[in-house]
Order: sequence, then structure tokens, then C-alpha cells
Amino acid sequence: MINTIKNFLGLDIKAAKYALADDPMFGRISDAKKPDKWVFSTCGYCGVGCGLYIGVRNGKAVYTKGNSAHSVNMGTLCPKGLSEHEMITSSNRLPSPMVRKNGKLQNSSWEDAFTQVSKKFKEISEKHGSSAIGVLSTGQLLTEEFYTLGKLVQLGLRTNNYDGNTTLCMASAVMGYKQSLGSDGPTGSYEDFQHANVIVLVGANISDNHPILKLHIEKNPNKPKIIVIDPRKSKTAQMADMFIPLKPRTDLALFNGLAYIVLEQGWENAEYLKANVTGLGDLRKHLQNYPPQEVANITGIDVKTLYEIARSYASSQAVLSAWTMGVNQSYMGTDTVSAIINLHLLTGQIGRPGAAPFSITGQCNAMGTRETGFTSSLPGYRNYGDEKAASEYADIINVPLELIPTQRGYKYGEIIEAIERGEIKALWVVATNPLVSFVNQTRLRKALAKLELLVVQDAFMSDTAQLSDVIFAAGTWGEKEGSYTNSERRCNRASKAVSPPGIAKSDFDIFLEFSGYFDGVRELIYPNWKTPSDAFEEWKRVSRGQLCDYSGMSYQMMELHGGIQWPCNEQFPLGSPRLYTPDIGFRTYDGKAKLLPLEWIPLQEPTGEQFPIILNTGRTVEQWHTRTKTGNIDILNDLAPEAWVDINPADASALQVKSGDRLSLSSPRGRVDDIVVRVTQTVREGNVFVPFHFNTQLINQLTTSSFCPKSGEPNYKQTAVQLHSVQVPQGIVMKSPEISGTLSYESSEVQSVPKTTGHIVQMIRPF
Amino acid sequence: MNDTATPLESFIGYKADTGMQCGNYSIDIPKLQEGEQYRFHFDATKCVGCRCCEVACNEQNNNPADIKWRRVGEMEGGSFPDTLLLFNSMSCNHCVDPACLIGCPTNSYIKFDNGIVFHDDPSCIGCQYCTWNCPYGVPTYHEERHIVTKCHMCHERLAADQSPACVQACPSGAIEIEAVNILEWMANDIDTSGNMPHLADARLTNSTTRFTLPDNMPLEMLKADEHHLKPAHGELPLVFMTVLTQMSLGAFGALFIGDILSLFGFFKPTWIFALLALVPAALGLPLSALHLGRPLKALSAMKNLKTSWLSREAAALGAFTGLMSLNVALYFFDIATAVRLGFELVTLLVGIYGIHAQAMIYRIPARPSWDRFSTNQKFFTTAYSGLFLVALALIISGTTDSATPLLSSAMILSVIHGFFTLGAYNELKASSTPQLEKTLRLYRELFATLHTLRWITLGLGALALPLLSTLLIASGLTSLAIITLVLGFVLIVLSELMDRFLFYTTTVPLQMAGGFFVGAQRH
Ligand code: SF4
Ligand code: SF4
Ligand code: SF4
Repeated sequence: MINTIKNFLGLDIKAAKYALADDPMFGRISDAKKPDKWVFSTCGYCGVGCGLYIGVRNGKAVYTKGNSAHSVNMGTLCPKGLSEHEMITSSNRLPSPMVRKNGKLQNSSWEDAFTQVSKKFKEISEKHGSSAIGVLSTGQLLTEEFYTLGKLVQLGLRTNNYDGNTTLCMASAVMGYKQSLGSDGPTGSYEDFQHANVIVLVGANISDNHPILKLHIEKNPNKPKIIVIDPRKSKTAQMADMFIPLKPRTDLALFNGLAYIVLEQGWENAEYLKANVTGLGDLRKHLQNYPPQEVANITGIDVKTLYEIARSYASSQAVLSAWTMGVNQSYMGTDTVSAIINLHLLTGQIGRPGAAPFSITGQCNAMGTRETGFTSSLPGYRNYGDEKAASEYADIINVPLELIPTQRGYKYGEIIEAIERGEIKALWVVATNPLVSFVNQTRLRKALAKLELLVVQDAFMSDTAQLSDVIFAAGTWGEKEGSYTNSERRCNRASKAVSPPGIAKSDFDIFLEFSGYFDGVRELIYPNWKTPSDAFEEWKRVSRGQLCDYSGMSYQMMELHGGIQWPCNEQFPLGSPRLYTPDIGFRTYDGKAKLLPLEWIPLQEPTGEQFPIILNTGRTVEQWHTRTKTGNIDILNDLAPEAWVDINPADASALQVKSGDRLSLSSPRGRVDDIVVRVTQTVREGNVFVPFHFNTQLINQLTTSSFCPKSGEPNYKQTAVQLHSVQVPQGIVMKSPEISGTLSYESSEVQSVPKTTGHIVQMIRPF
Repeated sequence: MNDTATPLESFIGYKADTGMQCGNYSIDIPKLQEGEQYRFHFDATKCVGCRCCEVACNEQNNNPADIKWRRVGEMEGGSFPDTLLLFNSMSCNHCVDPACLIGCPTNSYIKFDNGIVFHDDPSCIGCQYCTWNCPYGVPTYHEERHIVTKCHMCHERLAADQSPACVQACPSGAIEIEAVNILEWMANDIDTSGNMPHLADARLTNSTTRFTLPDNMPLEMLKADEHHLKPAHGELPLVFMTVLTQMSLGAFGALFIGDILSLFGFFKPTWIFALLALVPAALGLPLSALHLGRPLKALSAMKNLKTSWLSREAAALGAFTGLMSLNVALYFFDIATAVRLGFELVTLLVGIYGIHAQAMIYRIPARPSWDRFSTNQKFFTTAYSGLFLVALALIISGTTDSATPLLSSAMILSVIHGFFTLGAYNELKASSTPQLEKTLRLYRELFATLHTLRWITLGLGALALPLLSTLLIASGLTSLAIITLVLGFVLIVLSELMDRFLFYTTTVPLQMAGGFFVGAQRH
């Protein structure tokens, strides 16, 4: 009462709460949050991998500060990183494992949770075979945890139906690197942004998704020419000296066309090709289908511009092409990656400072799972089916060779399809939230409803966790130890600053303890393992001699040098900034990179009368993926509290909507209502953009089950949709439906609203 | 695994190799020469709109999510594919002639020698006048603290050669601290480098921020928050305070004239009438303290008579009310008429000055709908309500012959007042000032009913019912006339309160472009 009165009268201006104090590490900072200790660590959000310190006060994380001595971020952090300590105390955290009883999820003991799941797993294995268990993991765990999880799933549970959300994200880059260069592994470094004379950003909106990379571009003393290739005039496109607004999903044709021009003009680096590359003849022949005029028609980019880009690749000292989801999330993602690599090989733009085809990873440790995780390959980029590699691996870890899987199981989408067919009965989801992130949600939800057991291991009560039968409550970033490997192959140290809430455990501990519920498994695969460093030591031995060689690393070195870029061994004691230098050969059988003939395929789901608009999805800087981590951080969530739809003024006027009005979107698979309109010239007429973060406007109800057959990555970026406003509920009517070429639209009062029940042929490619 | 040593003991001396001010926790800026001050440079060609700066500022200052000292605004121009997205990351412009400082009634703003415009928290009373005055909407009221707060250029860090948090955080190196020679800046560069689309002209306050803008910017840059239509704070305590003090002025004026006329044999006002004139102001003035974050410190609002109209208003209206109270005593003790008349004249002049100062509070460029002569006109003519009050009292006391001319004057003044109000509204329709256009939209889209009610009540209360009551008086139905007039007076008061509420709530301040969802992040 007295306080209320005092407060009302403004007697207390809370000066102490807002005062500053001297901190020996960072100077004057908030006194109320002044930490008792700073813990060296690495950001747990995206693949940039920024070095930071976590400030801890009275056992609570209160500050996150960029590490100036870290080469990745040099002291800067993005908004998510700057507020990362708030994620730890999010109201969405899970303090205890939970088990569904009488239809309701209730807190349980670990023993209950583990017993229930292990019993069911065993039961299903006995009845339907161990492959009836599926596992979907993530790019968010620590490398030590990925390696531990992979062993448990493949060698313990003995199912190879194991994939990660990295398949929704980086899989095309993985498969593209593999088919062109012989192995996965991003070829360049962030420092290449500083060395390049030309920087090509293709399908990469780094301003929203990797803003810290701008630091490296800004540092470039050469005034690099920046070419941004994107159907959308994104925040990133604002940096462009040359903006290439190609038509959606014509990227592969574009790179083929550029390769054509390079060869036609004799601009190829003949010397480099002779020494390092195979397949030139076939490629040359194949490219005859991609003459400039044809490519101009496909991409909507005029011939003159095509020549200018090709010349930039050929005549510049160093060209860096960086890409992310625009390229990867495609039904021909793998081949598009290879088409980019083709161009770099042809012009010799690889393996030198500033010259690289370079994928930028989405998640903090997508690399860790790619290298160690047993999904797309055996640990250490050992190929499935390679007997020598398998026995080598079995020897190192001292398990019988029969235990080593010989082939890759189902990919992410195939796992869902197998659940649909009733083939997979139990699903274990680790630190990912398919109920927001996967395509074609209606289909996914129907499939998941068929499961006999859904186990979700997460630090947050995600949408998927809410659906589960059992929850393993996990620690998150800042609560556990290990390492993350970023986009540039830099292995960074992540440290524990605080303890997980309640009785939640680190993922590592969960895996170890859970393995104890299966006879003999723990002893076999985790002999004497106690801490993540035991996993790391084994991983170092496993990776020795492989391209992703960690054998020369130690946690101390990582802290001292701000992470180490693999390969790190006797030859490269402090790692190597880039791959495929004269010292690091290609990992193909003949040691040469492959030029590949790659076919451009027109849009899988072309627009048509009913669905005349192309929907593009993506992210915004304030939110992280499905918002399990950021949805409760006010300073982030306030800035982007819900989804919106970017729509060109021409389409807006056809629909009679203004910014701030509400729209519905429909596709053959569903309808999403109540999306706020943002009228903008950043999208072309006939194209809209909606961020995918929001379960409140679940845009993945519209996206389609169309996948890259090689990587299994879904084509999130182009979905044919219709827009419905209050004034024009029937939506936009297409004058002349075409796949490529200029489209024009008008609104119509006559056409009646087609109910979106899906009588349009669904373009579902086989999984 | 905690056996590893921290690689660096301190970052304060450490220099990251960014080649920019960003990244480092320490900053090298030249010592200021004579005539120089520190200022921000914001390079819009570098900014990618990532909002690191915004979050870093809050982290640095422990501010809650809704208190943003630095804000990132978005604008867009041109058409696809030649679309330009323009970002403006802005905190305080540390102006040469800061409107916040000039208007502050408590002298809570201090312009440091190094140019930083610093807000002294302990002396702030939370009147929020600076939040009205700054044409960039920089100072922000901190509800929890009951005071206004704003960017102080991390002066404590700067003093120790440490980087401001926003400068440190920007991955593009788009925010810098630099020294500027004030005279040179004001002589020319301010016009070429001091402006940003949608920001008030830098000359208004001689803002010091240097902006680097892209070449060939499209002529029309749209704000990302253009679609926001948000009413301003209703300021209820001020609604009552202003209307009531203006009523007092009218009533006191009537009293004064009555006192003069009594020399010619007309009705002689009594202490009751003097008291009646005092009551509205006596009720209204203390009410105004309620709009302060720290009402107990209301008296310190008079500290800055030199430059603040708010101080002047507080002092003058305080004096006016005090003098009116004394005047009641003069009547009560029947002090000589000549003395009283002199005293009343002084009181009236003080009151007039008080209402003038009150109106001048709103004559600020940062709030275009207020910054019109109609504000002064309306504030003074609201005094008609005081005439009604006195006329009503006269009728009740049975002196209808004195009441009728007063009633007519009241009606005439109310018609004038109505014309001023209508004029102010029509001015909105004719205007192409973006803020005034929005004010009109607020009237039409959010407050249409209230606005209609305002006119109905005015028509009834100030014209129809008083006319009826004069008829009733003429027909000798005095008690019916009284009831009619009481009703009329109630309607008048309601009408003026509604109009004043609309005055406050429909104002649209000058403001930087904001974000699509959050707007300019000011309440
Ligand atoms: S920008 Fe506003 S708050 Fe800052 S000094 Fe100028 S007038 Fe004052
Ligand atoms: S200078 Fe300091 S207080 Fe001002 S905006 Fe930057 S971080 Fe905030
Ligand atoms: S941190 Fe820099 S780039 Fe990001 S919004 Fe702020 S000023 Fe712009």
C-alpha cells in the first residue's frame, strides 16, 4: 500500500536500477545487471557463430556481450545475440520432463519418462523392426551432443530413419558440395568477404538473417562490387551495386547461362581447369541448351546484364558467391548449388583468398550435425556404403562392423511419409519444431496423429512438444558445454554459464542416461563417458585424416584463438581458412572437382488461374525460426509480433487493400487468415512474401510437399497461392497464365471463389 | 571443463581490427577544440536495418523493451526493382538549440560543454513537456520511473574513452561519434547533411546529427508506419485544468466589469461572486499536478521562467488563483472599491497573461495541430463559460436585469468561440501537412461521435437553452429559467471538456519514420 502511494507520487525514480557501474571487462555497464563473472562462449542462434561472453549475476544470466577479440564478430552481435540471456529465462521453458496421463501432459520423473519411452521403443522394435522408430533432430545442439545422439540412434536404437531439420535448410548445399567436390564442407571463410573484389549474394538475405556478415563486407578495402541475385528487393539487395531481380526459381538457369557465356567467350581459366577439374566436355555440350537469349527469357534478366555478371566472375581477381535458403530450399537445390560451383570452377574462383562458392549456414551448429551426426553420412564425412570407411570407423570406436549402417535411411520428408504409411510408429523429435517449420502442415499433422509415440526433447514448450506423449526437458544455450561449428568451418567453444531450470538436463546427459535403458548400449557406445569432452576426444580421433579434421583441436585452443577452422591437424595446426587450396585436394576418387551438366526445371507448381500469385517465405532479423526461443523476448517480439504479407501496390489495389489491412492466403493445401498487409515495392507484382516464424499465421499450411530428390530439401520458396481481401474475396484473376514471361493481373468481380479443396493437381514429387 | 583461462582480462583497451568505431568497447575520438561538440554521424548507405543498435542501447541502460532511446525507422521509395529501403537509426540529436531544454520548466536539461544534451533525472517532475517539444520525438516518458528519459550519448562511457553501446554494436559501422565545429555546421553543412526524410528540418533546433544519405534518393519516401493512426494521450487532468482556469478568467472578467458597472448603480457583486470566479481555477490548478509523474514536485515547475512557457503558466495561473482568493477577502471585508478595483485589474491582467502562457505552451512546431493561432483564440474564448457561470448566479440571486446583458455577452462570445473552433477544424481539411491530415483522420475515423456531441452540446448549452431561459425570464418563469440555464451550463462544461479532450488526443506530433509494427515507439 505504502509502496503504491509512493509510486503514485513518483517519490522513487529507481535511480539505482538504472545507474551504471564500472565493469573491469567492458567498462561502464548497467549496475543492476553487473555480472559477478563473465563466461566465454559462442552464440547459439545462427550459423554465423559469434563469439561472446555471458554475464552471470547471482546464478542468473543477465548480459550477453560480443567478444571483440573474436574474428567472426569482432565485438558485435545481432539483436538476438544481444538479448540471448533472456532466452534462458523465457516463460516457455520446460523445467521438468513430462508424460501424458489421461490426455494431459504432466510433470514426471526422469525415470518415468525414460522408462516409458524405452519400453515403447523396444516394443515397437520387436514388433515392427527397429526402423519403425524415426528420429528428427536439429542444428541447434552441440557437436558433442550430435555425435552422441547419432551413435545412440544408429548404433543403439539401430534405426537409420534419422534426419535433422538441417534437411529443411542446408541439405542442398551438403549434397551439392558432395556431388561437385567430393565432400561436404563450405569452401570459404568470412574473411573472404574482405578479400573479394566481387561479392555475389544469391538467395541470401544476410541483412535479416546474418547481419554480422555485413561487418566483413564493410571491412573490405577494395570497394567490392556487390551483386545481389534475388526475386525480392530485400534489405540485403539495398547493398547491391547490381541487383538482379530474377524470376522465381530460375537460379539454376541463370548460372548455366553464365557458364555458357564464360565458355563462349573463352573466359574460362584453362590452366585451373586442366589441373583440377573433370567433365568440361560434357558440360560444354550440355550448356548449348542455355544460350544467353534463352536464359534471358527464362530468368527475365537481359542478355547484356548476363554478360556483365559473367565478365565479373571471369575478370575479377577474386569472386565470392554466398548463398543460403534462396538456393537451398528448392526442388533442384542440389543442382543449383552445383551450378554455382561449376561457374567458380570454370573461372578458377576457388581456393584463394576472396574466391569461393560459399554456403552460409542457418543454424549455430548445422555443421556439427553434418560432420558428426550420422544423417547424410557416417561421422567424418564417410560415405554410406563405403566399406573401407565403415570398418575404419568401427575400429576407431571399437564396435562390431555389423553395427555400422550401410546406407542412409529416410530423409526428413520421407520419414513423415513413412509415418503416413504406418511404417514408422514412433518419432523422437529433438530440438526442432516441425509443427511450424515443415511444409504442408495439414498433411504433416495428419501423419503425426498416426504415431503410437511422439517424444519431444526440447528446452521449450514448442508447438510440437504440446502434441507429444513424452517430453524430455533439455538445457539450452548457456546451460551446457561443448562446441559449435559455424558456416566457415570454425569450431567455437560454447560454455555453461548457468544450470538448466528445475530438473531439466543437458541434451548430452539425456542421451547418456537414456542409453542406459537399453541393455548394453551405454557400455558399448559410451564407454566411460561422463562429460561432453569424452565425446569430443572420440570425435577428434574419428575425424583424423578426414576433410573435417578436428584432431589438432582442443577446447583451450578454441578459446584462445576464437575458434579453429577445420581441417586442423599437424599440417594445419591452427586450421585453414579455406578448402581446395593447392594444399587441400578435392575429395573425389580422382582428386579432381567435377563439372556437372545440370538441368533447369520450370516451377513445380506453376501459377494458374486459381492460384495466380507466387508466395515466397523467409525470415526477419528479430525472430528465430519457429519463435520457441524468441517469442517470449519482448524486445524482439514487439518489433515483429506477427506475420505480415509483403505485397506489391498493383496487387494491393486490385484487392483494394492498404497497409495495415488484413488478408487471407490460400493454396491447394489450405488457407491462412488474418495476415496484416504491408504494401511495398520490394516485391514484384504477382509475388508476395510472408515470414514463416509465426504459428499464429502458419504459412506452412500453404507450402507444398515438393522436394529436391537429391537432398530431400523442400521447396519452400515458391508456392502458387491466391489472396483474398474483404473487398475482393475471390482474389486476383490472372489475365494470361504463363509460367515465365510477364504476367498481368486484374481483380474480377465475376469469378466466384474457388473452394480450396485441392482439386488442382497436387505437384507432389516422390519423396 | 571450466579449467580454461579467459583469453582476455579486459576489452576496454582491446582494439578489434574492424577499421571502424564499431566492435570496440573503447573509442578514439579527438579532444574537442574550441567551438566544437560531439555528435552522431549516421550513414544510411551502410545501415542494413538490423536493429542491433536499438537492442544494444536497451541492454546498456537496463531499459525495458518499451523504452527505446535509439530507434530504427524504415522508409521506402521508388518502384520495383529500383526500390530503395531507407533506414534511420536515431537517438538524440544533441541539438545546438534543444527544444527539450528550452521548454523544460524545471531546468532538467543541461547542455554539457561537450555538446551532449543531458537529462538530469532527479530534478525531473515528469511533466513530459519535453516529449511534446522535441520535434524528433526523442525524450520518452518512463512510466516506472515517473520521469522522462533519453539518450545521453553514453556520456559516462565517452568520458572514459569507451564507445557508446549503439556505436559499438552496429555491424555496419553506420553510427559514429565525431566532433563538429558548431558555427561551421550552422553556417552551411546543416542544410545539406543535417536532414533525413520525415524528420523535422534540422534548423528547427539546430540538430547536430550528420546524416549520409544515398545518392539519387527517390523524391517520395514513404514511412513504414504510415498506416498507423494512433490517438495521442487524452491528458485528462490538463483537459480539466485548462477549461476550468479559462472559465475562471471569464468569470473573473465578468466580476470585474460588474464591479465597475456597480459604480453606475448596477448590481454590486458580493464576496460570493468573487468566490464563484475563484472556484473553477482553484479546482483545476491542483488537478493539473495529477498529470505529472511526480505530483509532489509540482511547485518546481516554476523554475524556468526565463525560457519555459510552462513555468510562466504555472507561475501566472498560480498567482491568478492566489490573487483571486485575496480578492474574495477584499469583498468579504468590504475594502474600499478603488483599492479593490485596482487589485482586480492587476489580478485580471495576471490571469490574462496566465491563459496566454497556457496557450503558448501549445504553440510548438513539434505539434502542428496545436501550433496554430486558433489555439490562443480558443483558449481565450473558452472564457465565455465563465460568463455563463456568473449570469447563472445572478439569476439565482434574483438580479435578472443584470443577468440578461451578461447572458447575451456570453452567447455572443460562445458564438465567436464556435467560429474559432470551426475555423480550426476547417483548417485541417484544407491542409496538406501530413500531421494535420492525420489529425483530421483522427477526428473523422476515431472520434466522430464525440466530435458531433461536442457541437450538439455547444449549440444546446450555449445558445438554445440560454435563449429559452431569457424567454422564460421575460415571462416571469424564473425558476424554470434557472433550471434551463443550469442544464445549459452543464452542457457547456461537457462540451468544452470534450473539445479540449479532442484537442489533446487528435494531435499528431512530428516524428521520425518508425517500424511497420512498432511505429515510432512512442506512447
Ligand atoms: S533531439 Fe530533441 S531531445 Fe535531443 S537535444 Fe534535440 S530537442 Fe532535445
Ligand atoms: S549513445 Fe548510448 S544512450 Fe544514446 S542511443 Fe546510443 S547506446 Fe543509447
Ligand atoms: S545496428 Fe547499424 S546497421 Fe543495424 S540498424 Fe542499427 S545502424 Fe543500422
